Amino acid sequence: MSQTFDQLPEELQLATSAHVKYIQSLDTRKDEYDYWLTEHLRLNGLYWGLTALHLLGRPDALPRAETIDFVLSCQHDSGGFGAAPGHDAHLLSTVSAVQILATVDAFDDLETRGKGKARVGEYIANLQNRETGTFAGDEWGEEDTRFLYGALNALSLLGLLDLVDVDKAVSHVAACANFDGGYGVSPGAESHAGQIFTCVAALTIAGRQDLIDKERLGRWLSERQIAGGGLNGRPEKKEDVCYSWWVLSSLEMIGKTHWIDRDQLVGFILRCQDPERGGIADRPGDMVDVWHTVFGLTGLSLLKYPGLQPVDEVYCMPKSTTARVLGR
Amino acid sequence: MAALQRELYGGGVGKEGRLAGDSEWDDVSPIVVVEPEKALAAITYTQDYAEAMSYLRAVMQAKEYSPRCLRLTEHIIGMNPAHYTVWLYRAANVFALKLPILDEMAWLNRIALGNLKNYQIWHHRHLLVENYFPSIASDPAAVSAFAASEREFLAKMLAEDTKNYHVWSYRSYLVGKLGLFSDPDELRAIDAMITEDVRNNSAWSHRFFLVFSDPSASTPGTPATAADPAVPEAVVDRELAYAREKIALAPQNQSGWNYLRGVLVKGGRKLASVEDFAAGFVTGLVEGAEDEDVRSTHALDLLAEIYAEKGDRGRADLSLRRLGQKWDRIRVGYWEWRRKCLEVGA
Repeated sequence: MSQTFDQLPEELQLATSAHVKYIQSLDTRKDEYDYWLTEHLRLNGLYWGLTALHLLGRPDALPRAETIDFVLSCQHDSGGFGAAPGHDAHLLSTVSAVQILATVDAFDDLETRGKGKARVGEYIANLQNRETGTFAGDEWGEEDTRFLYGALNALSLLGLLDLVDVDKAVSHVAACANFDGGYGVSPGAESHAGQIFTCVAALTIAGRQDLIDKERLGRWLSERQIAGGGLNGRPEKKEDVCYSWWVLSSLEMIGKTHWIDRDQLVGFILRCQDPERGGIADRPGDMVDVWHTVFGLTGLSLLKYPGLQPVDEVYCMPKSTTARVLGR
Repeated sequence: MAALQRELYGGGVGKEGRLAGDSEWDDVSPIVVVEPEKALAAITYTQDYAEAMSYLRAVMQAKEYSPRCLRLTEHIIGMNPAHYTVWLYRAANVFALKLPILDEMAWLNRIALGNLKNYQIWHHRHLLVENYFPSIASDPAAVSAFAASEREFLAKMLAEDTKNYHVWSYRSYLVGKLGLFSDPDELRAIDAMITEDVRNNSAWSHRFFLVFSDPSASTPGTPATAADPAVPEAVVDRELAYAREKIALAPQNQSGWNYLRGVLVKGGRKLASVEDFAAGFVTGLVEGAEDEDVRSTHALDLLAEIYAEKGDRGRADLSLRRLGQKWDRIRVGYWEWRRKCLEVGA
């Protein structure tokens, strides 16, 4: 396969150093309007940027000590993390915090300078609805399969999965399955590639892939590839680089990645990058952002693009990290 | 009442949007967050937003619930509708002040139309419905009136973006909450959307949910992918006819074929029961000729399964081969896998 990539014209080579510079620059744009508009995503943004840098083979491109200080400064007494200092704790930012600390190998700092693993686990476990198995994002009870997956992701990294009712969570995910083989955000909601990723990954962490109709799901997922090579998230929708991750990781988890055309997808992702200023956009010619940058790179990593570090299709983190933390 | 409405929902906070020069806010000491100088990912606000957030922190810390707090949340939402904390605090004010939920929903409708991709508006709506529904649950006329007004709002939202995922997942929640499965208006509204755009997969998906999760005509808890003997034969027949009619309008549309397959499974019917229908989209498929005409790859895909089901391996293999070679080359990996399955199954 790598032979094919070597033959790609120059504009279809990955602009590695431009991407590194782009991600490093994100934190220096504090005078821009968009910066404070996305404050509620600050910790998630750090996770996306850090993961991208690790996959690009530049784990040192963000200062480790300051990264850990910032993450710990977002933690509350409850154990949960807010998106930024002074923000209320939320499950999604807590998951990002755990993923960042795992990636920079700083669980020890969480113990000595933070509130400790056990408190984080307790915060997450308290968000589970013990009747239905679902997870809320915060004390207000918004429930979503994204939260359920995030909870299982973080708890398993912390080695604390036994704090929650995994069986109940699994039966909720099973209830989100649709007639077309996909999964929606809640029972009765349309199949959507992003939600499929969260459901399939949650079932994988729970060791319950037996509940997945892999052939039907794989068929639906492989139909997401459209002429031009890109993937969409639902039938009759436009392609978008982020689905290179949601669709492909799901196919990888059920062992069906070969059902789509890898070379064409690689070409599509590379056409979405800004080779001069770095970053990847949703579609060729659009504005780049860190979110599409990380999911473009994780997609390329799953496609075994030369030079990229391997990504874990379940956790969306470097495989070297999950191997170290999960001992596999 | 009108004066109260104006105070609560009239918008406007402070003088020319600034709070410091407005006597209404004199008793509040804003809480300004000072970031460590070199903190990674430190936060810089524009001035008005920073000021409003400092007042928000102060009133949230004091657990104040008041009309001015409600207006402060509107002020901040106007600048940054994606900030989830301010929405949660707004909901707390609405409930603490016992404001009429329908007034808040009318306000929310205006905000929603300007923020189609926003998550928070839907969570806020969800909280409002959860709070409101118990008060009307025992009054069918009130439930029906509420359903009608929600349907009107959803129609406006969907007119802006017919496949908006938030709107559709809220709609399925609402159907379950208010028990609208057998409501003929709901099915009519969805039929109209499919008629308008037969490729609207969201509408197809919602129809499947309406028809096959109706507790009065299905077995509760049956997975969407499993046969359900409690679904009346007449319903299965009606839905098969519906799918066939819509497929005829757009033979290459995935949604219609996925729906057809879903109904066949639900009704426990054999794929072969639609062989003649599927065969109508493929002509001249002959080994060695390679000049067939295929109006729908989904039809050829289904035929391949039907041939395999009937034990005609040769024809099944030919269908799959032609899909990979000519009609759907991008997924040749998938079609080749299907061909291998024929060998294993033999």
